[in-house]
Amino acid sequence: MTGSILLLLLLAIPLIGAVATWFIRSTRLLHLITALAHTAVLIVALVLLSMLLTRNAPRAFGNLLVLDPLGGLVLLIVAVVGFTSALYSAGYLNHEVAHGAVKPNELRRYYALLHIFVFTMLLTSVSGNLGILWTAIAATTIASAPLVDFYGSREPLEAAWKYIVLTTAGSMIALFGFLVLYQAGVHVLGESYDFSFTALAGVASRLPAATALTAFLLVLVGFGAKAGLAPMHTWLPDAHSQAPSPICALLSGVELNCAMLGIFRVFSVTAPAAGLNHLRLALVLFGLFSLLVAVAFLVSQRDFKRLLAYSSIEHMGLIALGVGIGAPLAVFGAMLQMVNHALAKSLMFFTTGNLLLGFRTRAIAEVGGVVRVMPATAVLAVAGGLAIAGAPPFSLFISEFSIIAGAARSNQVFIAAMAALLLVVGFIAIVAPFNRMTFSTPVEGKAAAVAVNPIVLVPAYLSLAAVLVLGVWVPGPLHDLLSGAAALVAP
Amino acid sequence: MEAFEYSLAGVVLLITFWLLIARRVRGAINGYAFQSIVLAAIAGATYLQSFRLHLLLLATSSLVIKGVVIPLVLRRQIRATVYDKRETHYYVGFPTALLIGMLLAIVGFVAANQLAITKDLLGQPVSGVAIAVVLIGFFIAVARSDAVMQLTGLLVAENGLLLLGLVLSAGLGLLIDFALLLDVLVGALVMGFLIARMNSTIMSTDTGELTRLRG
Repeated sequence: MTGSILLLLLLAIPLIGAVATWFIRSTRLLHLITALAHTAVLIVALVLLSMLLTRNAPRAFGNLLVLDPLGGLVLLIVAVVGFTSALYSAGYLNHEVAHGAVKPNELRRYYALLHIFVFTMLLTSVSGNLGILWTAIAATTIASAPLVDFYGSREPLEAAWKYIVLTTAGSMIALFGFLVLYQAGVHVLGESYDFSFTALAGVASRLPAATALTAFLLVLVGFGAKAGLAPMHTWLPDAHSQAPSPICALLSGVELNCAMLGIFRVFSVTAPAAGLNHLRLALVLFGLFSLLVAVAFLVSQRDFKRLLAYSSIEHMGLIALGVGIGAPLAVFGAMLQMVNHALAKSLMFFTTGNLLLGFRTRAIAEVGGVVRVMPATAVLAVAGGLAIAGAPPFSLFISEFSIIAGAARSNQVFIAAMAALLLVVGFIAIVAPFNRMTFSTPVEGKAAAVAVNPIVLVPAYLSLAAVLVLGVWVPGPLHDLLSGAAALVAP
Repeated sequence: MEAFEYSLAGVVLLITFWLLIARRVRGAINGYAFQSIVLAAIAGATYLQSFRLHLLLLATSSLVIKGVVIPLVLRRQIRATVYDKRETHYYVGFPTALLIGMLLAIVGFVAANQLAITKDLLGQPVSGVAIAVVLIGFFIAVARSDAVMQLTGLLVAENGLLLLGLVLSAGLGLLIDFALLLDVLVGALVMGFLIARMNSTIMSTDTGELTRLRG
């Protein structure tokens, strides 16, 4: 009972926040209300997760809203990165307003859309019904495309258009898959049934095999486009480099994971009938290809936000690969990678957001001497660069190592070798530019970087601390959540 | 009764082909509105067969939202200069586009046979039409360079999915169908907003002009 009330409260808070921002004129109050709303979401999410781990899974309206470990993992990611991004937005936008890049009256639109965007992602994480899940994932694009276009010049518009057209087309291919999946269920459950994964999971092994396989492949290609899996990723570097930095943190760290959740939900209900090995092979192929494409573009990258975007494609490829490998260690690593990617990538978008505020350019070659001009951000750039590249003692090392070790131990040596090789090349391509920007001499005429408001440092340091702690110690409850989620995607 | 639905499905396919080669933005939007109305009629006809209230609601709401609201709002958001524009560009020529459309229609019918869909309210031929409409819609969305035409392509593909949903399962249930409709409505509005922004930023809706982001 309390579970269902809390689930509704979780979804209501961002909606109330969105409505509230419409009536507020004061900039300071807008920042405050948003930060409070996201703190409240974080608290409610943590209470729900503790209920999930200690008592029954919270649910509301039958199977419509359900919190299970896999959804809980994504809920944790949405709530944490939503919170840090809301904090970061305040500092970042104040700078932008002071610099004249954003007009004060545009903040209301920004915050209203931010709340709706977070709402769609929260709904994704707690949907128990596959139809609602599809709607929520498709809605994440619709809510965030105007945010990608927020700066209102030509390049953001191009990025937003590409983003909305390609990911909506992807979502429709996925919808085709969901319709086919529904039809597969009709064979077993009768003409009108509850289209929830709880109901389908109960009869998963009796679904018609060919129909189940078709459904999964359609969803993999469709939501793969939204999750940034190559070769459907072409919109991603544009959207993730043109959006305001706090939005990039959410797009990259959270929204991609939401699309992955959609793929994994369908994976878990179609795998028993369609044959686990077929489905895993498809995930491995997309995963390896994404790694390959990402690393190829990382090596030649000159724009530091696009560098991070390609690193996201690399991470999504690894997550798909981990689940595709199927060994328990690799699947656990993939689940941990979802959390680590969200924390580390948001950390890096906050860091590059600070660089952008200080230097007013995204070109790697035009940024230099960060360590002298912005020492606090320099620490973040070096440590964060190492973290997203997967260096110990940061947590991405653990998850990436688990995925590769899982492959090697289950005799998938070729996959392990390929992934390890690509990760090493990617490592150099990510770490080198951040070190260069930090320690090189300041570029002529570009040295006049401005000091940043301490507020923009707090969320970044929080994320850095989290990635460091998770690198040496995964807390018990989080470990339970990760194992629960892994059990759902390795049936 | 079935013959009536089959001929309506045929009309849906014909409109799709007409949209494939439409040269004016005005025509494309009107064509989409007309196609949505025919689809609503098919949903209404399936209601008369099964008397499930949900289908009647689906028929009326898609008639209102897709047949009237979306076309009207797009008409308002897209300024007259774009709306009355005659020439819209393909990355391939018009005859090639038509040929590809025919191939996609054949693929649609073959795929419908392969999927071995059980006969529900409507039969196999309609699901062939539905898949063909989805494929041609996607083709319009990727092969046209005009933003309004790309949006129309996506909307047409969605119409195809609605038809497929009707054939396969008479919809997914009231709540889900409404959530989907809401998604389509808001999605079309946001894309319309971006098109209006395009028109004021680059004085055109030709996405061929938006090619600055690379690598």
